Amino acid sequence: MSTDLDILKDVSTEEYKYGFTTDIEMEIAPVGLNEDIVRYISQKKNEPEWMLEYRLKALRHFLKLEMPTWQNFELPPIDFQAISYYAAPKKQVKLNSLDEVDPELLATFEKLGIPLSEQKLLSGVAVDAVFDSVSVATTFKEKLKEVGVIFCSFSDAVREHPELVQKYLGSVVPYTDNIFSALNAAVVSDGSFVYIPKGVRCPMELSTYFRINAQNTGQFERTLIIADEGSYVSYLEGCTAPMRDENQLHAAVVELIAMENAEIKYSTVQNWYPGDKDGKGGIYNFVTKRGICKGDNSKISWTQVETGSSITWKYPSVILKGDNSTGEFYSVALTKNKQIADTGTKMYHIGKNTRSRIISKGISAGEGQNSYRGLVQIGNSAENARNFTQCDSLLIGDQCGAHTFPYIESKNNSSMIEHEATTSKIGEDQIFYLNQRGIDTEKAVALIVNGYAKEVLNQLPMEFAVEAQKLLAISLEGSVG
Amino acid sequence: MENTATQIINSLYDQCIADFEVRSNTAEPEALTALRQKGFQNFKKAGFPSNKVEDWKYVNLTPFLKESFATATEEELVEVPESVIKNAAIPHLDVWTIVLVNGVFRKDLSDTVNQEGVFVLPILEAASRPAFQKHFGTYTDLAKNHFAAVNTALFRDGLFIEIKNNAIVEKPIHVLHINTANEPLFLQPRSLYVVGVSANGSIIESFVNAGANANVFVNNVAEIFVAENANLHHYYIQAGSEKNRYVHHTEVYQQQNSVYNNYKASFPGTSLLRNNLNIALDGENVESHLYGLYLSGGHQLVDNHTIVDHRKPHCQSNELYKGVMKDESTGVFNGKIFVRKDAQKTNAFQQNNNLMLGRKAVVDSKPQLEIFADDVKCSHGSTVGQFNADALFYLKSRGIGEEKARALLVHAFAFDVTEKIPLAEVQDHINHLIEEGLKA
Repeated sequence: MSTDLDILKDVSTEEYKYGFTTDIEMEIAPVGLNEDIVRYISQKKNEPEWMLEYRLKALRHFLKLEMPTWQNFELPPIDFQAISYYAAPKKQVKLNSLDEVDPELLATFEKLGIPLSEQKLLSGVAVDAVFDSVSVATTFKEKLKEVGVIFCSFSDAVREHPELVQKYLGSVVPYTDNIFSALNAAVVSDGSFVYIPKGVRCPMELSTYFRINAQNTGQFERTLIIADEGSYVSYLEGCTAPMRDENQLHAAVVELIAMENAEIKYSTVQNWYPGDKDGKGGIYNFVTKRGICKGDNSKISWTQVETGSSITWKYPSVILKGDNSTGEFYSVALTKNKQIADTGTKMYHIGKNTRSRIISKGISAGEGQNSYRGLVQIGNSAENARNFTQCDSLLIGDQCGAHTFPYIESKNNSSMIEHEATTSKIGEDQIFYLNQRGIDTEKAVALIVNGYAKEVLNQLPMEFAVEAQKLLAISLEGSVG
Repeated sequence: MENTATQIINSLYDQCIADFEVRSNTAEPEALTALRQKGFQNFKKAGFPSNKVEDWKYVNLTPFLKESFATATEEELVEVPESVIKNAAIPHLDVWTIVLVNGVFRKDLSDTVNQEGVFVLPILEAASRPAFQKHFGTYTDLAKNHFAAVNTALFRDGLFIEIKNNAIVEKPIHVLHINTANEPLFLQPRSLYVVGVSANGSIIESFVNAGANANVFVNNVAEIFVAENANLHHYYIQAGSEKNRYVHHTEVYQQQNSVYNNYKASFPGTSLLRNNLNIALDGENVESHLYGLYLSGGHQLVDNHTIVDHRKPHCQSNELYKGVMKDESTGVFNGKIFVRKDAQKTNAFQQNNNLMLGRKAVVDSKPQLEIFADDVKCSHGSTVGQFNADALFYLKSRGIGEEKARALLVHAFAFDVTEKIPLAEVQDHINHLIEEGLKA
């Protein structure tokens, strides 16, 4: 029993193993937020006039807004005037070989099974010329060009594809949506832009990871993905490898647009710095993610694995406008120490025969707090709409919390909605069963948690799924029964 | 437009404030005066809730509060036709009938409860009793409940029931709430039920359609204390006229090894029906069961809010609410389960099912779990749907008419709740009301 308690104490207090700082020379804008700063950012990025106008409009709106109070956690006060909104890395300190990298970090990479070349890229080791120029990434880029897929940084898109950006930017998440979307629109640092032309099935999984020179997208990331008629794209964001970052507040916006018969699959693995065991210094991850199934028979699917950040606060949503369109949300959120996750989804059924499916798995350990907050809304035009929601919570230790706030609103009597939620801890008999087969308690917990999260992990692209599974195990390391 | 609406509500707000100033001259026990003051301060600060208050998200009160209400009837004793009382009786059930007209306990219309250890009194007559002094106003959070605050400040009538330790009430106490007026009326009745250690009883409350001529807004607050080993079966049968609006707050506090069961059935009529049922399980081995059935019709708005607060270990709660929405009615359900840090080994269940019959019916369901202990078993479920076309076809193919087949399916849907009702007579009565409600 006492060992159990010890182990319990271990997990609950296990520190983030991957945080380290690198000295990078930066060009930094003075702290504060005003029109001059926005103009400065826009000018630095060489943006056209319309983008500056958009930023300024958003800023003016932002200044009128107040922080929300409805969330299920205590939001630490954020002084928006004390943040610097622009930082461009001048040059990165490069290490010469992997030998110079923190061995702890390498061990983590090893556990995650990340290939050597990627390990170098991630840990900031100078990547050899061969890898850099003739790399997989470059080959990928050429392949994409061939089929007409546009995949570039958001800043490039603003300059090179203004007609597309202007048409779709803010069409799903307007800057008036919430305080963080307004802030993001005003001070966008960078992000990704994807356009899949009609009838094209994107030949590979797109990942920010393969976007050359895009390691530093900054704290106000903007992603815009447009899948034209009959196209398909799978997009990966983040990676299982630890993310180092000096910025505490992250307010990203992601907009997805699926035209007729198009499908977008968006996967996220987030493992940002969660802060020390008292929850100090961790990242606030406040993201607005929303997709619209604009055309008939379209589909948008969100999958997320959230293990990092001191506060994760996001609700990836789908507006099901086209008839027969489908929205999906699969989520695993793990909180430990003093981490907080307030996450979930919103499904707006507008079109006929629209379907949505929500699977949310929360895991709370230590003093972690995990909330599922979701909305399923059936409009009166949404004939035969269908929803299935399942949100389960797993509690590890007696100091944590799990909360469920589902909102179900139906205005159409032909709709069918099902919601179920359970909360429980890992069964002693399950642990015992594995113990007696020679599997120690720590591994047994990892095994059970993985089984519990399987339904979601299965939705991830293959290699990612394997990494995510390992990530869960590592995050729970030293875990318990 | 919105401005005028606010102003209208403001005028009722001002009226309540003015009423209080007048009332504060009445001589009452000091503790009660202080409590009223507390309620008043809370109400003065918060006013009536708007849609922006999370708990009132789906209820727009403006149209219901915009009249110029009187806060009391002029005549002392309102005439009630005998037929109203007779119709409200539950056939074949032997009970003590207690009649409240516009919140006033009417001894002239009520039975005398002549059992030792059982006391039924008008609430203010009980103010000197120890049970009243100990429990009155102790369990309701006035800061969070706008209507309970204004009720505490202004109530003048209501019911007090005390079941002494070890008393077993011989037959159910049937409380009839009759509300009727010729001028718009805003009422604040209040009740307190104290069930002593190892006591046992059944209280049935019927909200009766008395064919009022004017709108009556009833803001009812009931507090219930269930002591160690006690057992209380509590029924609500809610059928009013379209002229009635009810906001009914019930606050239950349970001590160890006690059982509290609430059976609630509401029917078309009352244009606004809002129930708050809060239960605190503050002792080990407590058991609470909440069964609800709501059949709504016309433009009715039925809103059931429940809070089950598990504070101590080894407790069990079970909640099942089923709604049938006809016509253009709206059914709202919000169930909260809290499991506090200490409440290990809790077993809590919550389910809400909705059957949408009307093409323009609306359902808003919000089952909620907030859990702070790990060794628990908690789950909830919520569904929204309509008749199973196959089931309907099956019945029709066997020569059962469309209307009859639908009624059968509604009865089957409601059965999960009605079968739980321990008194067969009440069960029959409710089944009868379902049938009537479906026809209307």
